Amino acid sequence: MNVVLTAVVTCVAILTGILTATAWLIWFERKFSGRMQSRLGPTMVGPSGLAQPVADLVKLLQKEDVVPEAADRALFDLAPKLAALCALGAAAVVPFSATVVGAKIDLGVLFLLAIGAVTVMPVFMAGWASNNKFALLGGMRALAQSISYEVPLVLSAMVPVILAGSMDVSKIVEAQTRDGWYLIDPVWLGLPAFGLFLLAMLAESNRIPFDIPEAESELVAGVTTEYGGMKFALFYLGEYVHTLVASAVASALFLGGWDGPFAPGLHWMVAKTVGLFVFVYWMRWSLLRFRSDQLMRICWYWLVPLAVALLLGAGAWVVL
Amino acid sequence: MADALFWLCAVGLVVSSIAVVRTRDLVRAVLWLALALLSTAGLFAYLDAPFLAGVQVLTYVGGVATLMIFGLMVTRRHTKAAAEANNDQNVIGVVAALAVFGVLAYAILNTKLPESSVPPPDTSELGRSLVHEYLLAFEAVSLLLLAAIVGAVVIARRRDAEAREAPGTSSLPSFRAEAD
Repeated sequence: MNVVLTAVVTCVAILTGILTATAWLIWFERKFSGRMQSRLGPTMVGPSGLAQPVADLVKLLQKEDVVPEAADRALFDLAPKLAALCALGAAAVVPFSATVVGAKIDLGVLFLLAIGAVTVMPVFMAGWASNNKFALLGGMRALAQSISYEVPLVLSAMVPVILAGSMDVSKIVEAQTRDGWYLIDPVWLGLPAFGLFLLAMLAESNRIPFDIPEAESELVAGVTTEYGGMKFALFYLGEYVHTLVASAVASALFLGGWDGPFAPGLHWMVAKTVGLFVFVYWMRWSLLRFRSDQLMRICWYWLVPLAVALLLGAGAWVVL
Repeated sequence: MADALFWLCAVGLVVSSIAVVRTRDLVRAVLWLALALLSTAGLFAYLDAPFLAGVQVLTYVGGVATLMIFGLMVTRRHTKAAAEANNDQNVIGVVAALAVFGVLAYAILNTKLPESSVPPPDTSELGRSLVHEYLLAFEAVSLLLLAAIVGAVVIARRRDAEAREAPGTSSLPSFRAEAD
């Protein structure tokens, strides 16, 4: 009984933290993009635009739940729930500080990569179940993108694993506290691996410049074309949480996680995660999207060979 | 608690496996297969083999199932009605499945299994044995996989060349052809 109770309490605590953070980050992103692109509104709704996320949510809640007649009903309903669930599930093994961690498992990195690999299933499911050409094209693009970018993602995540000699995210952070952050030590290995991880992570969470499954200029709204109201909100939530968790993982693997002077570990971890998150959104509102063929070429011609070279380099660094 | 996990995975595995062969919608069949593979990963985790569980999800659900859907999408027509399986060998299938089940059940029930559970293997030990003791077997398997990939490329290229000689009979229906 005790085990179950602990698990439930930990889950609730982490979910509350993540979801609260997401609400604040939506507010931040709306304002950020508003300032960058002169969008009127998000900076003015309520004091400092604080009412904007509330307004967004109320709008989504009010909408009628429309299901296309030709859709595969069961899969259509299941997809958004699974999308949100996959994104939240990954948060379980992220160490927010030396003590604040959902599940301490030896193979944390493997768990994260496995959940990341499954994330594409609900996206494709949505595209297929909608029984709509644009949605299906979006789903196909998501599949192609995820299966390609999985390779550099896994290989670049293996660099810190090899350097630390462990797949436990907490142990990787501890090793960095001891030896220096992998981003700068060794810099010729850490910096490119970090860059690669960040790129592949953006691709996996379908963020600009890699958001071709959604591509509103070509595919209406891609996989989410037929979704409205709370179902759309779940996809939206899943995307935010995925980016947030991925930022947290990147800071743990390369930026020393909770390591830092003066302040308690949790503060550093949150600061690094939010910093990366802001960087991701900065890119989102600055860059254009790639074409699908460019996306594949970049991955297979450049990222994969670079990732293999880095993996060999990491092996050599540890052995020599 | 652990038993609940076992039953969840076991029942999930049986139900989803039956669903894989019973559903006529091929995409649904692959999605059921993904659930079956996930349940297998759950069983691995229950048996104290977390590494196998993780790799199972990463390669089978994230890789194989995804590739299957991909293959389905580029070789069949993409409308719902066309992506259907033809289950015209139902009877033979059931007989074969029952026969295999019988043999396996007979073998398992008649084998003396060790009473005490073996200590769970260490992941680092697994890695070491792969590249030390079983290095030759490991490399032989990679060579086999490489040969399979090269073979697939050769077959695909030949088919491409044939399609170019006889225009209009492309083996891969393109999305553009679907759109009109």
